[in-house]
Amino acid sequence: MKTPAQSLMKFTSMNLAALVLVLTGASTTVIAQNGRIETGQLRSLAAKASETVDVNLEENLMRMATNFLSSKDPDEAKAKDLVNGLKGIYVKSFQFETPGQYSDADLESIRTQLRNPAWTRLVNVSSKKDGGVELYLMQAGGQVTALALLAVEPTEITFVNIIGPVDLEKLTELGGRFGIPELDIGIPRVKRKN
Amino acid sequence: MKNENDYLWDKTEEPDPEIQQLEEILGTLRYQPRPLRIPAELRTERERTFFRSSAARLAVAATIVLLLLGLGVWLGLQRLQRSQPQIVKNRDAETKTNSAIAPTDEHGSSRVALPSVEPKHKAIGGPHRRGFNQILLTANSNRRRNASIRNQYLVARRQKEAEAAKDQLMLALRLTSAKLNFAQKKTLNSRDEIHNQHKIG
Repeated sequence: MKTPAQSLMKFTSMNLAALVLVLTGASTTVIAQNGRIETGQLRSLAAKASETVDVNLEENLMRMATNFLSSKDPDEAKAKDLVNGLKGIYVKSFQFETPGQYSDADLESIRTQLRNPAWTRLVNVSSKKDGGVELYLMQAGGQVTALALLAVEPTEITFVNIIGPVDLEKLTELGGRFGIPELDIGIPRVKRKN
Repeated sequence: MKNENDYLWDKTEEPDPEIQQLEEILGTLRYQPRPLRIPAELRTERERTFFRSSAARLAVAATIVLLLLGLGVWLGLQRLQRSQPQIVKNRDAETKTNSAIAPTDEHGSSRVALPSVEPKHKAIGGPHRRGFNQILLTANSNRRRNASIRNQYLVARRQKEAEAAKDQLMLALRLTSAKLNFAQKKTLNSRDEIHNQHKIG
């Protein structure tokens, strides 16, 4: 027979577990709604990679960088225009010497976050030989609020996460810059008034 | 007037035998000039402490230290006095330059240079007070110089950070652009494949 103290302990521990679950879920939802994808689990790949690119640009840092972008340089001017209004750009890229240095399990946590209904998968191309690309968008009120791109190649993994009102037209124009041709990946253009 | 017996007065009369006897007894105790002899057992060895033994040397050393200190202070003050007029001279030169290049406004009339807002440090009191003022002045100018150096350092550091952020931003955009291009290529390839399959079918 249980004593009242034991019953109280059990009740309290159950309540605490429920609270922890609720808080974890809430924090995940907040992160998901924010558009920021946690990439901490990719850190293990850095040890295997021969080259790593890690860019973490918060809003204030980006604003600071924007002040240094020249309006005379066409590339920088375009970048300045594109970055305006963004809240963060996060890029992680790993290059490996040989194929087979990573597995799908390494990317599973990112894909799990992107399975959240707040995200819409726009492009998903995969090939066993060359790898694949997945492009996700988060929208609110007919406007893109975040973008996530996961490009997987045999010897390279790149994950891009852009937070903020991404202008798809400008992003498509970006493809014509930096020596890369314009894109035609079927991104639905947001209708503009007038 | 003379007494009957003046022996006790000037020893001219016959001495009384009783007095003579007394004289003989007490005569052994009369004063005899001889040097004082201190008994050997009463002589004690003086304690020779460190300070007593090296007092003279200590005094000399202290004098030298004091002299050196005084010399150092004097040299420091001399240097301050020499550098102070330099600063004042520079200030005067700056004021002159500023007044010489006093900007003219849109109407062509030159603006009158305002007098310096900096408080004038009056040399109240004697040379000591003046020296103290000079020390304060130097300390203030040093503080100002340090603050400006710190500001310059902060500005340079911020500029460096901003430039690094710019490089990162451009790198991120280039990578994003390249990957979008990769996605485009993949999409086009898969479209062509589907199209070809339809044609064959």
